Amino acid sequence: MMKDAANTALLTVRNLRTYFHTFSGTVRAVDGVSFEIGQGEVMGLVGESGGGKSVVGFSILGLIDSPGKIEGGEILLEGRDLVTAGEDHLRHVRGREISMVFQDPMTSLNPLHTVGRQMDEVLRLHSDLRADARHKACVDMLESVGISRAAERLKAYPHQFSGGMRQRVVIAIAMLANPKLIIADEPTTALDVTIQSQILKLMRAQIADKGASMILITHDLAVVSEMADHITVLYCGNVVERGATRDLIETPAHPYTRGLIDSIPDTSERLDRLSQIPGSVPDIRNLPQGCNFRDRCPRAQALCAQKEPPLTPQHNGLMAACHFPLHPGERL
Amino acid sequence: MTQAPVLDVRDLEMHFAVGGGLLDRLKLDAKGIRLEKPIVHAVNGVSLSIAQGEIMALVGESGCGKSTVAKTIARIYEPTKGKIRIDGKDIANFGFAQMLPVRARMQMIFQDPYASLNPRQRVRDIVAEPLLEQTKIAQERAAVPEKIARLLARVGLNAEHAGRYPHQFSGGQRQRIGIARALSVTPGLIIADEPVSALDVSIQAQILNLMKDLRDEFGLAYLFISHDLSVVHHIADKVGVMYLGFMVENAPRDVLFARPRHPYTRALLSAAPSVKAKRDIEEIVLTGEVPSALDLPSGCCFRTRCPFAWKKCAQERPQLQDVGDGQSVACHLIDAPERDTR
Ligand SMILES: Nc1ncnc2c1ncn2[C@@H]1O[C@H](COP(=O)(O)OP(=O)(O)OP(=O)(O)O)[C@@H](O)[C@H]1O
Ligand code: SF4
Ligand SMILES: [Mg+2]
Repeated sequence: MMKDAANTALLTVRNLRTYFHTFSGTVRAVDGVSFEIGQGEVMGLVGESGGGKSVVGFSILGLIDSPGKIEGGEILLEGRDLVTAGEDHLRHVRGREISMVFQDPMTSLNPLHTVGRQMDEVLRLHSDLRADARHKACVDMLESVGISRAAERLKAYPHQFSGGMRQRVVIAIAMLANPKLIIADEPTTALDVTIQSQILKLMRAQIADKGASMILITHDLAVVSEMADHITVLYCGNVVERGATRDLIETPAHPYTRGLIDSIPDTSERLDRLSQIPGSVPDIRNLPQGCNFRDRCPRAQALCAQKEPPLTPQHNGLMAACHFPLHPGERL
Repeated sequence: MTQAPVLDVRDLEMHFAVGGGLLDRLKLDAKGIRLEKPIVHAVNGVSLSIAQGEIMALVGESGCGKSTVAKTIARIYEPTKGKIRIDGKDIANFGFAQMLPVRARMQMIFQDPYASLNPRQRVRDIVAEPLLEQTKIAQERAAVPEKIARLLARVGLNAEHAGRYPHQFSGGQRQRIGIARALSVTPGLIIADEPVSALDVSIQAQILNLMKDLRDEFGLAYLFISHDLSVVHHIADKVGVMYLGFMVENAPRDVLFARPRHPYTRALLSAAPSVKAKRDIEEIVLTGEVPSALDLPSGCCFRTRCPFAWKKCAQERPQLQDVGDGQSVACHLIDAPERDTR
């Protein structure tokens, strides 16, 4: 394996393949996914349900369990491969170097322990601070995520917080160990829009403050377009397009990306009809030959049924996997 | 052309008594021990009116009472107070039998198409059910299968789908089944409670387009419940904004989006993320969270999060008032524009 000294990527995922061997066949949930994240960068991982976004996240965290298995590829965190690392190293990585935030805050919180105890545990594991210094760090962190009367709230249990407040607590816990990377899987999907905007602002501030990087997993293109520096679009376990946020949103090269963007209604425009991608996501156990998107693609031609399109460079530094990519500004 | 609106709701209130353990409800005050009966004030005096062929959306965040309004109008709940007129006739106190002909005029579709479809019924039977309930004459019943086949084709399903069960369909297809079922009785009004919220964006666009086409084709009126402002902007002719069981603003779509007046509407619009580069709109950031409907704030329901709130807002409940162009707003700022500092 080459180690490039000039490569400043914090995380490099190369040709990741994660399969689930189920009774009804092999689900190639992630089938050759590659991307990089620099330090301090926010990368949005988007796509429709079943695209493989969450499986990528779990793969990086080393949390894929039977019947799932990472079949191949590399996940390099500062050059060290997590795919081949042992469980001890992974346990150290989770929590200390990579933290996670999920859609349902109760995934990360223990309902039986006070918030203070759960926060303190992180610091006990990952720092050498004494009890009083840990207490102060917890109070400060809770305040910095916008929870008032923090000292008092440390004594409360998760159920005594509202959904938005619980997600703040989870973010506070995720930030405590000073991680290098945060993987946030639909962190605001369950929240109301005014609360969502508070939480997104908070996450951005925390990340900027600590110089951490983030993978923001979501089906909501509007959210990533406001949060991410780069976007990776997944479809049926493959990267179909990636690039810098504004370029990808404004001049996408892949028909799927274009279709997704066009099907979002927007309050700044008045359209009688939304443009729609026909059909629905195919069963991942029975993908079509060639391009996975071809059954729904208005540009598909004979070649699309014969050969899987590789990820190739396009305009504006975009990478897209399509035999007949769109030119800048071209519509479907 | 003064036709009675398809739906006209006046001062609708829906309160729920909630249980809670005996000990939670025991209160000790100056007069001694009392047993409190907690009341959820889900809907607190909502009025709205929808004409034939019109789409009205209700937006607001979770718990604002929009779905309760929908379910109360559909008489899934017994309204606490108020009038619900369908084609001019008040159905607020109708019993089950009286509701039968009403169900031929008003149908409902739901957010989770799966939970709302009987898993043990075939699609053709699911779709035919409301129609068969209305048709007792044998001759008319004989015509049902053909009508169902036509309906399924109209919503984009084929004959082969008719014999399958709901679990064999994707979310978008299930919503098509729900729509076909609602259409079976040729209703005048469809109450749609978050019909696209559970769907992926490409499928959401398909369903929104279908619903709009059907409105044009059948002259349907919709009461469309959604928390998503961009969806509402796309589909609605007029919009009611709800907060904590109150209608705080009500306006034609273009007026509302161009000139929102209530601070809550303004905050909602500024919080909604967009793929378009930053729009030129004011930013109103809300702090805090929605208060409990068990314990409404005095005065204005929004004052605990409103950046403009002053003394009057705690003392007096603002009433919806007409500000022109069909727009109504319930906010004291309307009478004190000098306090609107943005
Ligand atoms: N434990 C599992 N066993 C079998 N298949 C699985 C398992 N977990 C995920 N999959 C499959 O892997 C594919 C990718 O799923 P994934 O959850 O990553 O999608 P996603 O993009 O996160 O979707 P969503 O937007 O719905 O969260 C899907 O086809 C899913 O059914
Ligand atoms: S490769 Fe062909 S089918 Fe696939 S997206 Fe490109 S044009 Fe469409
Ligand atoms: Mg997921």
